[in-house]
Amino acid sequence: MILIHCPYCDEKRPEIEFANAGQAHVARPLDPSSQSDEEWEAYLFIRANPRGRHHERWRHVHGCGRFFNAVRDTVTDKFETTYKAGEPRR
Amino acid sequence: MSDALFRNEPVSSTPYVADGVSISLAAPLKRYSLRARTADALETVLNAKVPQKIGATEGGIACLGPDEWLLRTPADTAMPTGAGLPVAITDISERSICLVLEGPRAAELLMTGCPLDLDNFAVGRATRTIYETVEIIIIREGEDRFHVEVWRSFAAWLWTAFTAAASH
Repeated sequence: MILIHCPYCDEKRPEIEFANAGQAHVARPLDPSSQSDEEWEAYLFIRANPRGRHHERWRHVHGCGRFFNAVRDTVTDKFETTYKAGEPRR
Repeated sequence: MSDALFRNEPVSSTPYVADGVSISLAAPLKRYSLRARTADALETVLNAKVPQKIGATEGGIACLGPDEWLLRTPADTAMPTGAGLPVAITDISERSICLVLEGPRAAELLMTGCPLDLDNFAVGRATRTIYETVEIIIIREGEDRFHVEVWRSFAAWLWTAFTAAASH
């Protein structure tokens, strides 16, 4: 079982306490009505699907309940780092 | 107290005693979910010390998350409502029940379905975690004594899982 470091609890916890919540750093456009259909589609549905380093949101759902960001390698499934939500991209 | 006579608990009120561990239902408790941005805001309302660190407990208050605490007190404790203040105090007494695991094999019993590192789980710590697929809150009351808070609807299953694991 993978151990994931929760930046809020500040300790490594078993992976079954966590839930993946998709790609990280997807910002909602500040003025949605100014968006074209294509731009809005890109915001809603289009996601990166990299082979390797990937920024993801995770939630410590069966723990402190917090969302945080993680950098995970999609090939090896290794977590490079985790950091609190709102902190700059690493 | 008359309602205590009519309580319908999802698990047996007779403790299950196995080799090295006993599983029993704790007496009914009052439980409050405390939410606030900071522990200081709660301290003002409750007039009590509130732990700052996730996992710490103090005077029946366990810090479960950066803005979430669980207060467990004996029944009949008056609670402030926090009206008008930036805190949320919610009575969740009947949401869960508490199972008490006691005995030298108590930690081992929990480890049958919970992947937490209980060897490094100090007395006085509390955390939300998972047993097999059931969300629980573990509170280590002593070296050989754990309180396990579980939602009522999951309690019957957890009781069966614990007693089955303890009998092996």
